[in-house]
Amino acid sequence: MRALRSSLFTNGYLAILLGFIYLPILLMMLMAFNQSSNYTLPFEPSLQWFERLLGNDTLWRAGRNSLILAVANTVVATALGTMTSLAFSRFRIRGHAVLKILLFPPIAMPWLILATAMLVFFFYSGIGRGLHAMLLAHVALSLPYVIVVVGARLQSFGVDLEEAAATLGASPLRVFFKITLPVIAPGVAAAALFAFGISFDQFVTSYFLSPPGVTTLPVEIYASIRKGFTPEINAISTIIIIVSMLLLLLVSRFYRFGGTQ
Amino acid sequence: MNRFKRQWAGYGLTAPSYLWLTVTVFLPLLVMFYFSFLSQMPLGKAEPSLTLKQYGLFFQKDFYRFLTWRSIRLGIDVTFFCVLFGYPAALILARSVKGRWREAVLLLIVLPFWSNALIRIFAWTIVLRGNGVVDQAIHVAWPGAPSIGILYSYPAIVIGLVHSFLPYMILTCYISLQAIDGSLIEAGRSLGASHFRIFRRIILPLSLPGLLIGVVLIFIPVTGSFMEPRILGGRDGIMLGTVIEDQFTEVFNWPLGAALSFILLAIVLLICALAYPLLKSRLRLA
Amino acid sequence: MKNWKQWSRRAAMLAIGAAMMGTAGLHGTAAADEVHVLNWKGWGTDEPWAVEAFEKATGIKVVHDYITSFPETFTKLRTNPGYYDVVVLNAAFIKQAADEGLIQPLDTAQLKNFNDLYPDMRDSPQMNFDGKVWGAAWMWGGTSVSYNTEVFKTPPTSLAVLWDPAYKGRVCWRDDPEDSVRFAAMASGQNPDAPADMNKIRDKLRALKPQIKAFWKSGDEWLKLVAAKECDLSTVWTNNTEAAAVQDKLPISFIVAKEGAIAFRDGMTMGKDAPNPKGALAFIDYMISKDFYAGWVKVGGAPVAANQKAVEELPESSMTRTILATPEAIGRLNFKGPLTDEQRQSYLDLWQETKAYFAE
Repeated sequence: MRALRSSLFTNGYLAILLGFIYLPILLMMLMAFNQSSNYTLPFEPSLQWFERLLGNDTLWRAGRNSLILAVANTVVATALGTMTSLAFSRFRIRGHAVLKILLFPPIAMPWLILATAMLVFFFYSGIGRGLHAMLLAHVALSLPYVIVVVGARLQSFGVDLEEAAATLGASPLRVFFKITLPVIAPGVAAAALFAFGISFDQFVTSYFLSPPGVTTLPVEIYASIRKGFTPEINAISTIIIIVSMLLLLLVSRFYRFGGTQ
Repeated sequence: MNRFKRQWAGYGLTAPSYLWLTVTVFLPLLVMFYFSFLSQMPLGKAEPSLTLKQYGLFFQKDFYRFLTWRSIRLGIDVTFFCVLFGYPAALILARSVKGRWREAVLLLIVLPFWSNALIRIFAWTIVLRGNGVVDQAIHVAWPGAPSIGILYSYPAIVIGLVHSFLPYMILTCYISLQAIDGSLIEAGRSLGASHFRIFRRIILPLSLPGLLIGVVLIFIPVTGSFMEPRILGGRDGIMLGTVIEDQFTEVFNWPLGAALSFILLAIVLLICALAYPLLKSRLRLA
Repeated sequence: MKNWKQWSRRAAMLAIGAAMMGTAGLHGTAAADEVHVLNWKGWGTDEPWAVEAFEKATGIKVVHDYITSFPETFTKLRTNPGYYDVVVLNAAFIKQAADEGLIQPLDTAQLKNFNDLYPDMRDSPQMNFDGKVWGAAWMWGGTSVSYNTEVFKTPPTSLAVLWDPAYKGRVCWRDDPEDSVRFAAMASGQNPDAPADMNKIRDKLRALKPQIKAFWKSGDEWLKLVAAKECDLSTVWTNNTEAAAVQDKLPISFIVAKEGAIAFRDGMTMGKDAPNPKGALAFIDYMISKDFYAGWVKVGGAPVAANQKAVEELPESSMTRTILATPEAIGRLNFKGPLTDEQRQSYLDLWQETKAYFAE
């Protein structure tokens, strides 16, 4: 009886929490299918906002930029981060403690400050703004996460196999591709996913580093919210949410959340 | 020789990452620090000189200090509610929900966190607006009900930010709660400790690291937030973050924006530094 | 192992796909003939039918970038030299932009409709100086008090209504330092161009604290506030009020208060080193034409054009004609004059301080 009461309580709590998390998102999605442009009821089902979205060049361009950036960021950040992680766990590096502390600023500083600092530096150093500048920023923000995630995986298995292969005469590159990489692959995949998510969701740095005409989805959505929007924004948001949820569901098939690996 | 080679291979592998961070983080911060001492923007005919004027403004004008306090308070409030709602959720997930069910709930909590932060904030404008969707739905069911419109207020900002950052807290707490050895709790129980005592003496201290990481991960970005207050705050939406944003995007006073940024950074670091010895002793206890 | 292979294949496909889209995008932007316009959102140049007509007639694609204040225009021009072709500027700001080298003079010979502009606006010293024409007079309008016609059976007459406790928490205010100071100056009986007593203005603004429901910066933000019935009164542009009444059927109208209203003249200017000067002139010419104005009037909510042939298009019943542009109301309009940098900075400081006080 007591167990039942407590499970009712805990399940009830979780249900309310999930309600809080999903209420605004579901309502927002619902409004994408509503006729009114000022979000007024009664609800009249309509697909007009999705149709209008098809003809909205600016949003498509921004979406394409977001995707390009996220993919590029995933490739670069995962590669650089994995290299660094390997170096930390497989090589003796003098001053590695300092190097690890240096990973903190990108995580532990308000993005607003990092982004404005980049704006000032890129503007005056000739690096300029644009997709390349955003890529610079996104990689910097994702690197620490990649290094930590891959590093955790590297730590969980020893160097025995690699050393055995090396004594059998395999070249370092061969050892890496044939032994190390397959073992750490789940960690690398998780890190890549993190990198993709960080970039695709990144608003603050992109906002300060986007010149006119070159925007990403978050920047475009912010501009719309401040300067004028219609439920087209709901429509594109709905698409983004559904796609990212599908992506995560896909991933959760082999990267179990909360379970042991 | 081999050792020497290994050393260099290690540097070779780390160099690209740190070079990247130098160009994107360390150099920009240095340059911006320099900027914060400039009298005006070095553009066109302007000849800026070095000055403490920008920092001086912060101390001459009360409202900058007031806004700094507001930003800090926002950080504290949001972190507080995240702990209040997130920690019990993590506890329930780690201790009383099992198997596939637990995984499903965790996934449900993480899912929206992967969609865009802006979209989630935007979603709240639809929910909270007076005469908005929720209000209208209530009025259909109960004509004459009072309006719940709290969009454009401080609570709206807090709600939106808690919604954005709650998953961080649940996840970090969950990870450290889940790692607690069940036999410790069993031992406590067999020795006759009450639920509360077990929580206070075993569960809380052992989960403290996760809780603290969550607190830091939430407190720091929230103090620098500008987008959320701008969209949800209305009349109450002015924060140090929004004033800094204005300096960069609207009034083109980058030196002042830089100085305000560094003041905010210094204060946040100071708070973390002050809290550190306290946390450290707590952590050692754990 | 199997997972990894699948993943690497998937990643490679994604990367290739993205690269293809990327190159397609680069070609897309490079090949098209574009004109880059910097303006407020919903302030004429982005009317969908107009953009469509212009693109069809000239083959030039119109690309907009938006602002929520004129200082933002300056920031954008300074940080993006050589990007903007057409820049809509308040006449009072044109001299400053020219002095700073942000805009270039217009070759008016290329503007077929230039001579149809009202001479006093066309030849205004705010747009003509140093022997050159720096802006083509485009539109003029007002910033005044709008009210909900269901709440006010008879229109209010005085700015004092904004401070009336009966409308506590029902005022939507334009978040702009200059307009705020000008309204406070008019309400406290001072010259809005050069207020003598800034302390009075500070007090007047602070007294708004219980009144203000929300601030707005873009016309769309304001419209959504009004549509959600968040406010009974607002300080807002007159043509937006009319558009809300005509296009969105909202119960709203505006007044020119007995203390006065703010009026502004906007001109069309050309960015320095504009990438498409020919396209810029073509666009400006279309924007000052009678055709464009006739179209805007038809949609509802057009301000007053600087083109004298066009103004007759404005229906007799329009609010702009019956409330704003009456000889009697025009006498009470305060056309914005230029501000010094010091003034602008002090207004901004005062306004930020006031907003911080509101948030206390």
